[in-house]
Amino acid sequence: MQLSETGESRVNGYLFVLERSLKTFLPRDVVRDAVREIESHLRERVLAATHSPDERAALERILTELGPPLRVAQAYSAERTIDEAVATGRIVPIVRAVGHLASTTIVGFFAALGLLVGYLSAFALLAIAVLKPIFPNNVGVQYVRGFPVGVGAHFPLEPGVELHGGYGLIPVALVCGLGVFVLTQRGARGFLSWWRNRRVS
Amino acid sequence: MSHETWQEQLRRGSLDLAILLTVSSGPRYGLAIIQHLEAFTDLVVTEGTIYPILGRLTRDGLLDAQWVEGEAPHPRKYYTLTRAGTKRLDQMKAEWRAFADKIGRLMDAAERPDHAAQ
Repeated sequence: MQLSETGESRVNGYLFVLERSLKTFLPRDVVRDAVREIESHLRERVLAATHSPDERAALERILTELGPPLRVAQAYSAERTIDEAVATGRIVPIVRAVGHLASTTIVGFFAALGLLVGYLSAFALLAIAVLKPIFPNNVGVQYVRGFPVGVGAHFPLEPGVELHGGYGLIPVALVCGLGVFVLTQRGARGFLSWWRNRRVS
Repeated sequence: MSHETWQEQLRRGSLDLAILLTVSSGPRYGLAIIQHLEAFTDLVVTEGTIYPILGRLTRDGLLDAQWVEGEAPHPRKYYTLTRAGTKRLDQMKAEWRAFADKIGRLMDAAERPDHAAQ
């Protein structure tokens, strides 16, 4: 089957969406290779569809059997970024994999939200440990009217807010920060591992 | 676990073996692999999702991929089983046969409870 201009546009549109989706989490050369392979598949299928009088219907059937571009991209994500994140446990592949899931799935979005809270909490606790020796009078446990309301840094110290906690806060913040970081990291890896096990294929 | 989930897990678990078996008879390109799988099994639900699996098997060193131009109006990416792939396939085949044999015996025993203890 020889594609008309409309058919060509439909194929190019599919490949464009696929390429854009893949670009968010795959290196450029891998994206180029993947898109080339999918295009080869489509061209082969179109060429084989010789007896179809209705080009549009035939092309839509071919594209349906191939799967929506986002689903194909998601399968690449499951096979590549998630595998890498689970296997290495490194923060960059984990963030990349969770980021991609967050942008393509609802479950991924909420998981990313929870993980973001975890990472930010760990960062905040570690920041307290670093800032305490530099600004000893601005970092500590905040008390308002005699009640502790939080831990953090205040620049400048507002009236009515008292800061307690000496340098003993540093090891506590350090241990808690690292603890929260490790737990969040494990949570992220566990989530990705669970996702990998139910990968789309 | 629902029946569909169980079926899906079974399908996913056997897809790697099915792809390696398909390529074991000689080099094949993506669509030829898919068509072979579709002819013998119902493992392919969405054709496009086979390509990432081929990519993973290639990254794992079980398959070798090579673009071939001039054979068709468009380039084709051919996959060949590597030495590591052949070794893995032999292991997988042996494990699959042993597994199927044990489950088969278990099913026989369940269908004939009087012989279950034998």
